[in-house]
Amino acid sequence: MPRKPLSRVLLVEDDPDVQVVASMALSEIGGLVVEVCGSALEALKTAPVFQPDLILLDVMMPGMDGIAALEALRKDPRVAATPVVFMTARAQSHEVARYRELGSLGVITKPFEPESLADTLRALWEGRAL
Amino acid sequence: MKASIKTLTDDYAVALREYLEGGGEAPLFRAYQIGRGAVEAGLGVLEVAALHQEALVHDLLLLLAPDESPTIAKRASEFFAEALAPFEASRRGFQEATSVLRDLNRELQQRIEVALKDYQAAQDKLDERRRMEALKDEFISIVNHELRTPLTSIHGALGIINTKLGPEIPEDARRLLEIAYRNSRRLARLVDNVLDLQKIESGTVTFEVRVQPLRPLLEHAVEANQPYATQLGVTLVLEEAPPDVQVEVDGDRVIQVLTNLLSNAAKFSPPGERVGVSAAASGASWWRVAVTDRGPGIPESFRGRVFQRFAQADSSTTRPRGGTGLGLSICKAIVERMGGRIGFETEPGRGTTFYFDLPMEGAPAEAPDASACPESR
Repeated sequence: MPRKPLSRVLLVEDDPDVQVVASMALSEIGGLVVEVCGSALEALKTAPVFQPDLILLDVMMPGMDGIAALEALRKDPRVAATPVVFMTARAQSHEVARYRELGSLGVITKPFEPESLADTLRALWEGRAL
Repeated sequence: MKASIKTLTDDYAVALREYLEGGGEAPLFRAYQIGRGAVEAGLGVLEVAALHQEALVHDLLLLLAPDESPTIAKRASEFFAEALAPFEASRRGFQEATSVLRDLNRELQQRIEVALKDYQAAQDKLDERRRMEALKDEFISIVNHELRTPLTSIHGALGIINTKLGPEIPEDARRLLEIAYRNSRRLARLVDNVLDLQKIESGTVTFEVRVQPLRPLLEHAVEANQPYATQLGVTLVLEEAPPDVQVEVDGDRVIQVLTNLLSNAAKFSPPGERVGVSAAASGASWWRVAVTDRGPGIPESFRGRVFQRFAQADSSTTRPRGGTGLGLSICKAIVERMGGRIGFETEPGRGTTFYFDLPMEGAPAEAPDASACPESR
């Protein structure tokens, strides 16, 4: 079933510099509408209001990490079905497999390529294997 | 009818085991009966003691647990005393029985203490090692994260400037920008390689080893690396590889090794040249996979250090080629983890062949042939 084109992305990332770079890559290069959250808790509040098509979620964050955030998002009926893509520095193949099992759409490894970050998300969104 | 010694031995072992595990009156009563049987069979206290010792040592091996040792020792003594009770009434007398029991108990106590100490020491060592390994994993994970986070912003920022402002940036600045961008990518690769090498060497990464055909792995590696070689004007060619060869390897890791060797070969080949990949038997027990280039060859002075970490032949020529200096160390670690060996042959001006040997299916394990592996010189 073809989906509507990807347009709204919620970026959840604790590092302020990575926030800037990733959101610019997504919006200015990728043409997406981006909202940024600096923590998982903030994302849990923002997601139901912003209603993103997709959530790009950092794994290693202080406090609630990305894994716990995904579980919490899944319990909120307003965003339970919103696809999540993890962004992580850890990307051993078994970890990637685990993230997929947790119900994420895919995993993006840091450092990512800014030119293609949005395209990668679009490909995941459209269900193309990477 | 006299009980046979065999029956006594078996009964003794079973009843003792039962008593050590659960205590209770029934096994103790059987000990007494066995003792009586022994007296009737004309056995001596020492023979019953030997029987006791043998059964106990066997049980101790099965039951040994530090928390329970005092209980076990106590029950063993009670059981033995019960088995010896019938001897008290016999002509061999009480004296003999009690002295043997005392000696035996003392010896047993010592053996248990020694065994427990050994056990505890081994346990401590194991705990310590586990703790160290966990700490190391944790450390690596943190280092990984801490290095990659700033790299992500550097690489991302440079990439965005490049993409968005490329045409507006003056030539000089753009060249510097490209250097910075390229090197941030290289730094990321370096982090990958350092961590990968560490994980392979420490054994913290598991290899998915299974028997599989070799040829598809070579085909895959050639295909996957051709785009990179094409940028350098080099063609990768799969020259010779028997289709029916099976090897027991982690396929992804073999491709990782080949990717390293192929990209090295392409880097050092003059444009317009070919890099050949082949597989063939080497002796009776190895399959040799070889990657051959027609590059400048490896200088004599460098040959002994080829597989060392961060070793690069001539920094003035290799640095711009973008290597991290860890590729061949990783190849060596991977090949050796799969029971293979790695080496090269080189002729200045004519080219270099890097090869790795994988054990043939069903071939007897063979010690790596040192003369064939230049890195072990």
